[in-house]
Amino acid sequence: MTVAERMLSIDRRIIFLMIGLCTLIPLLYPVGLAIKVSPEVRAVYDYMESLPEGSVFLLSLDFDPASKPELYPQAVALLRHAFKKNLRVIAMTLWLPGTGMADEVVSRVARESEKTAGRDYAFLGWSPGGSSVIINMGQDLYKAFPTDYNNQPTKDLEVLRGVQSLRDVNYVVSLAAGTTGIETWYVFGKDKYKFELGGGCTGVIAPGLYPLLRSGQINGLIGGLRGAAEYEVLIGRKDIAVAGMDAQSATHFAIILLAILCNVFYFSIRTSRKAVGQN
Amino acid sequence: MTFLRRQLPLLITFVTGILFAVQYYVPHPLSEQMLTSVSKWLQIIGGFALVLGVTSLFHIHAVKIRRRESGWGYSVVLYAAIVATMAAGFGYSPAAGQWINGKETIKGAMTAFGWVYAYMMVPLQGTMFAILAFFIASAAYRSFRARSREAAVLLIAAVIVMLGRVPLGEHLIPISGDITQWILNVLNASVRRAILIGISLGAVALSLKIIFGVERAYLGGGKE
Repeated sequence: MTVAERMLSIDRRIIFLMIGLCTLIPLLYPVGLAIKVSPEVRAVYDYMESLPEGSVFLLSLDFDPASKPELYPQAVALLRHAFKKNLRVIAMTLWLPGTGMADEVVSRVARESEKTAGRDYAFLGWSPGGSSVIINMGQDLYKAFPTDYNNQPTKDLEVLRGVQSLRDVNYVVSLAAGTTGIETWYVFGKDKYKFELGGGCTGVIAPGLYPLLRSGQINGLIGGLRGAAEYEVLIGRKDIAVAGMDAQSATHFAIILLAILCNVFYFSIRTSRKAVGQN
Repeated sequence: MTFLRRQLPLLITFVTGILFAVQYYVPHPLSEQMLTSVSKWLQIIGGFALVLGVTSLFHIHAVKIRRRESGWGYSVVLYAAIVATMAAGFGYSPAAGQWINGKETIKGAMTAFGWVYAYMMVPLQGTMFAILAFFIASAAYRSFRARSREAAVLLIAAVIVMLGRVPLGEHLIPISGDITQWILNVLNASVRRAILIGISLGAVALSLKIIFGVERAYLGGGKE
């Protein structure tokens, strides 16, 4: 067995250790490189900035705990921005396993921003049906959610005054880890009820949403941890997403290095085999 | 019986399919009222799907345990976890003085169900997803090889996007960010759009086949 062959069949635990260290070391010793803001993230920020005080902002946290590292920081940044702008915030989820986490993040950021439940924001919780929940909200929000997560009748909530359906919402952002998510909000919501829609998603599904972005079906897109870090930079509150970018830089470089090494060894084996064949 | 099993479902599918395809273009209050009612029905049916899912899960694992099939021990763990979580979810909270009713928090205080969610489900799901990074790195090392011209193009594009999506890449090679944006916005978006159009046309064709009774697999049974 040649050196190249031996290197290609290296124990994968060495690779695991390398990735572990590339994640851990930058978290312990952050470098803090500058983060460039992309136009798609800026578009979400600019639209939020353009909303006058008291506008209705609906945040749909359509993800489960598996996507927490990427989408939770996005939710925190968006909620901070919305509360800072004194927007009326309606939060909900279309993913049942994400209900507890969605409640926790909304309550935590509201508490930190000194906002009151029912007056400044409402967490509607989860309702079964996926796309039909969106249609139902578009027809009559109070039929889709007769009570909020804390069993308060939604008709009595001050924050929902004047809001009868999705037609009365100024901006909807869906933070999605898959389906049901951004596409569902577009097809069953924006297309019929004519509200502006933005999106946030995991890095894995972001490339699949670019056609919606380019055609204006969504006005902006926050993609992965990088997108969350960009939003944190825009609102001037650097937090866990920015902190995680150094680790992401290191792991990306480690994977690039591994891919290069793999090809170097692969071509060296191929060349040597060809040479043997010619002889 | 054949009428109830075959003709009636086909008739209902045909009538509702045509009705709701037309409904989209009719903004009359009556049409909107009809949509409101039906979307509420769909929500209720969605709730029943949950019950069906849990029942099916219980049944499959009960059979596994009874027959002592390979890995039946995991089924016991799953059973114990479901029962314990359900007990926590349906239980009574003495601190809040009310039934938990599937809530993670009541008046800001964490319930037993919330504890299970926050300290078991969230870390477990997070760990499962985090492990992916390690396997991706291992797979990249073993299989990301430029075996053909197409594979080489994919490899180069992947390296550029990986560089352009992190601050270190943009710091070392400033143009990598712009090239990444171009790859995502032009190459990726156009290919994805073509795929989306294909999928959508397929969905329209399938819907028409279901509405007109050409496609009947959803009726089950397999026999006419």
